[in-house]
Amino acid sequence: MYKRWLRALQRATLRVDVFINRVYPSEWNPLYFTGGLGNLFLVVLVLSGIFIFLYYMPSIDSAHNSVSYLTERVPYGGLIRGIHRYAADGFMLAILLHLFRNWFTDRYLFSRDSPWISGMFLLGFAGFVGVNGYMMAWDDRGQALLAMTVRVLESINLRLPFLVITTHPLGFGGIEWVHVGRATADLLTAGPGIGEGTLVRLLYMHVVPASTLFLLLWWHYVRLRHPKIWPPATWVLFCLGAVTFFAAVVPAVSGTPAQPAGKPAAFPLDVFYLLPYWLLKFMGPVVVVVLGVAVFAYGFYIPYQMREEQIEPLRHAGKAIVIEPNCTGCELCYYDCPYNAIVMASSPRPGQTRAAANRKLVAIVLDSRCVECGICIGACPFQALELPQITEAQIQEKVLAACRT
Amino acid sequence: MSDLSPKIIGFVCDWSVALAEAVTEDGRLRALPNVHIIMVPCSGFLRPQWVELALKQGADGAFVCGCPYGDCLNREGNYLIRDRIQQMRRRLQRQRVDPDRVAMIAYGFHDGEAFIAAVREFADRVRAMGTAAPSARAPVSGSS
Repeated sequence: MYKRWLRALQRATLRVDVFINRVYPSEWNPLYFTGGLGNLFLVVLVLSGIFIFLYYMPSIDSAHNSVSYLTERVPYGGLIRGIHRYAADGFMLAILLHLFRNWFTDRYLFSRDSPWISGMFLLGFAGFVGVNGYMMAWDDRGQALLAMTVRVLESINLRLPFLVITTHPLGFGGIEWVHVGRATADLLTAGPGIGEGTLVRLLYMHVVPASTLFLLLWWHYVRLRHPKIWPPATWVLFCLGAVTFFAAVVPAVSGTPAQPAGKPAAFPLDVFYLLPYWLLKFMGPVVVVVLGVAVFAYGFYIPYQMREEQIEPLRHAGKAIVIEPNCTGCELCYYDCPYNAIVMASSPRPGQTRAAANRKLVAIVLDSRCVECGICIGACPFQALELPQITEAQIQEKVLAACRT
Repeated sequence: MSDLSPKIIGFVCDWSVALAEAVTEDGRLRALPNVHIIMVPCSGFLRPQWVELALKQGADGAFVCGCPYGDCLNREGNYLIRDRIQQMRRRLQRQRVDPDRVAMIAYGFHDGEAFIAAVREFADRVRAMGTAAPSARAPVSGSS
């Protein structure tokens, strides 16, 4: 059932490619480097964010004013604020496209789960940072968002026991039940309720998780050789132009300054980041939390959902094995493996073939990283690697059979 | 049988063009019965020796089909095999085999018709070259 669904979605995804490939050469198809587009937008966000950071004052009284000053008085300030705003949308759009495309085209199978799991973390952090950014403007919308977030967190009525240590000779003051949701909300607002420390905390929660994205990107890429981390120059220029165009035509503006007792009835919604807040109109906060947790938990489960026997035999040919007597230690497979699954070790003994007699190194396949693609077999001119289910003998057999008839 | 010549062997990546309905049980293309299809897990999986083997064992032409460039599931498989086939063409030239008897093409899942058209064009080109010269078929020892 799941598999039928996935195949249908795969066909639909690849159908889109057909149309795009009619317009551009396939190497320019933007759907082939959605991850690179995400990186591009992330860099734009960091650069424009540094500029905004220089003017931002994280306090309840001056946050809104400082943003207005940046927008209205600083040369190009409004433009750069708009670029920050629309690049954030582009970033979320790119990583969502990246997620769905890689899901529907099976790019998560086997040990590709490492990029997938880190990708889920990247998604979560990006969403958090984005929502935070709206709060930092500290207009009516920002205040409403923070109030809604606090309300949602406080609705998590989960209590966990904590030991209380006292100065009492026994050192043990009993057990205190801590309301987890409220404690988390207090972490976000820096103390109970919105206070002087809140905006500083928001700034911190915006910048640090955004920086953490780069740490997560390292995890995202660590198993990949030659990952596509940057789109072609044409698309870089196009995206920069599009973001600047939007920033100039539809400038990002703040609403009215936040009021201590303000409670706006309506505010403009950004579909890429604020969708969960829109859901709050229709569902209780607990339902939204449970839904969000369920969606994320399912996201983490995706790479393990398809059972191995459901995968077609050609796509599940077994981890590559090194035929040790033939290996010459030439490192060709090591350089070509797209997943860094092959390491070279110093050879304990000479190989058996003439080419391998004087080898210094020998290839080792790390099973935990192999995705069974067989590219190392194509790289090896010495018959020293095999996929267990599709051996060289079988292929040669097929070639001979085809030539005979 | 004239429609079974020239004899052509195609190595096709399982992730590229969808051929489940286009291939008969004995591995021939329905539209072009002179073309045998061998499915492989990724075009980068191919050893150029296998393509050479096909030519030496009597095939008049051989081609490799990978995913559209940029869309390889493993990012690089189709680029790698493209480079390796380029190297192989020089090797074939030294062995006095017309290098145009091998081809590298790239078609996506839904490009079945374009794929068939490209294979037909390749087959016509090979037919114009005539069947492979006997010297090309002789087993070559030591392909260095």
